[in-house]
Amino acid sequence: MAIQTDGIVLNNRRIKPLYFLLEMDCPAIADETKPGQFVMLRTSNDGRPLLRRPFSVYRSYPAHHPEKRKRGHLLILYKMVGQGTRKMAAFKKGEKVNLIGPLGNGFTLPPLPSSARTILIGGGVGMASLSPLNEPLRSGQLSVFIGGKTKDDILCENDFGGGKGSNIFIATEDGSRGKKGTVVTLFLSEMKRFDKNEPYHVYVCGPDEMVKALSKGIKSGKWTIQASMEARMGCGFGACWGCVLKTTDPQTPYQRVCQAGPVFNLREIVWE
Amino acid sequence: MRIKTVQKPDLSVDIGRLKLKNPVMVASGTFGYGREFEDFMALNRLGAVIPKGISLNPMPGNPPPRIFETNGGMINSIGLQNPGLRVFIKEKLPYLKELKTDLIINFFGNTQKEYVRLAGALDGVAGISALEMNVSCPNVKCGGIVFGSDPRMTCRLVSAVRKSTGLPLIVKLSPNVTDITATARGAEDGGADAVSLVNTFRAMAINIYSRKPELGNVIGGLSGPAIKPIAVRMVWEVYRAIKIPVIGIGGIMNGEDAIEFILAGASAVQIGTANLINPGAALEVAEGIKKYLLQAKVNRIRDLIGGFEI
Repeated sequence: MAIQTDGIVLNNRRIKPLYFLLEMDCPAIADETKPGQFVMLRTSNDGRPLLRRPFSVYRSYPAHHPEKRKRGHLLILYKMVGQGTRKMAAFKKGEKVNLIGPLGNGFTLPPLPSSARTILIGGGVGMASLSPLNEPLRSGQLSVFIGGKTKDDILCENDFGGGKGSNIFIATEDGSRGKKGTVVTLFLSEMKRFDKNEPYHVYVCGPDEMVKALSKGIKSGKWTIQASMEARMGCGFGACWGCVLKTTDPQTPYQRVCQAGPVFNLREIVWE
Repeated sequence: MRIKTVQKPDLSVDIGRLKLKNPVMVASGTFGYGREFEDFMALNRLGAVIPKGISLNPMPGNPPPRIFETNGGMINSIGLQNPGLRVFIKEKLPYLKELKTDLIINFFGNTQKEYVRLAGALDGVAGISALEMNVSCPNVKCGGIVFGSDPRMTCRLVSAVRKSTGLPLIVKLSPNVTDITATARGAEDGGADAVSLVNTFRAMAINIYSRKPELGNVIGGLSGPAIKPIAVRMVWEVYRAIKIPVIGIGGIMNGEDAIEFILAGASAVQIGTANLINPGAALEVAEGIKKYLLQAKVNRIRDLIGGFEI
């Protein structure tokens, strides 16, 4: 069940030139959130901007979390891009922020504790929604592909590991970190490492062009590929039908990203 | 001796034969099928619920992107996506008709025949308080805008629909006309019980970097606070031009905005874009109206209708 409530800002700090980490106290939402779900955040009460903005939950610490001091905390990793996120960047400790969440379906996980072979592929701020997968999946074998335009767009590289074996691969379009090129090109060039006949779990999040390029390039065999999709949203809770994505569903091709997603089976997305 | 200090203002209004417990409804297309809001608000406290518009057959809607935010508003081009009458009655109506508030069904057709068939089919369905016919969707050719742009066609269409239903009939008007009082009169002459206005304003936005439209459908409809002053003016014009009740719609965000429409001549209001931002907005508007009445020492909201002075 989604709820509308206020989070209290605990911390809001810049972690890269354009990226910020917002930590709020919001037990009601933190208790319920699963990896891949999102919140609709009201960046301003003065109507500028008017609509809420959707953000993946980067971390949520429910009431039973072993780290006692973190209990009830909800974290959002965001990029400052427009009017709304500029206002967010000015949030101060103690400020109230109105939230609706948790929303959307979230990622489907393999049976836990996981021994699964998992591949994560993320571009830019898309890593914020993949990062929470480390916790449930690190007991298996984890390969993480991180991409961005420049080295300042490479996020979450230190979030993975602490388990069996995790490999991190990095690509930047300008070559300032890791391999030069897109994360999709990098992944496709490394794909021979991963056996198509083994049941890999692949999780993807990034800009539409990235997910589309991956969808065209990847022959999945026995793999299940889940993609968390971005969309402009009016409400985030299913009321407006503004955030649709074209799918292979014969009855209702245009599915709401906020209700049917944001996580879709990559093979069910129709690219136009 | 106890002195009576707290009054409870009377918020009930009449929309022709339709009696509402308060004047705040939720606008079609901004409230899903009601259920999407149950986590956030007590739906039973609304004046009326108007779910997303339905057509005879399913409609796929327009290609994305369907939404673009502008200064003080948003442009949408949803394209009336809906599962059609049969699925609506089977899957959406059972929940809606259990609500303890009035249920108004918004509908539209491609042709006069479709409007008549829909109105006739809905007439026999238990749990429906009234119908709102959309002759004004700016996003699809068949959303009725063709009918809603010409007063004579409006009149002919409304009178045909009128004959097929005994339910109170509200006609939702388009602001994309030269003279909205002419189409309002057309609806009145056709036998409408009330008119609701305004639907969205045809609008568009261009991304100057990609030099492409911001919406998949290129053109959409503008809603939100940006349109409120134009909507207030249109409500006032229509209020003076016709005798049947007027329902005001257009960028209402709070109780004060609603009072402004009521003073301009609206018997009731619909909340649209605000529902998306704050799912409890419509109930907060009703609270705001109550507060205004207490402060202004007005006992009945109906005494304010059209009560502005020049």
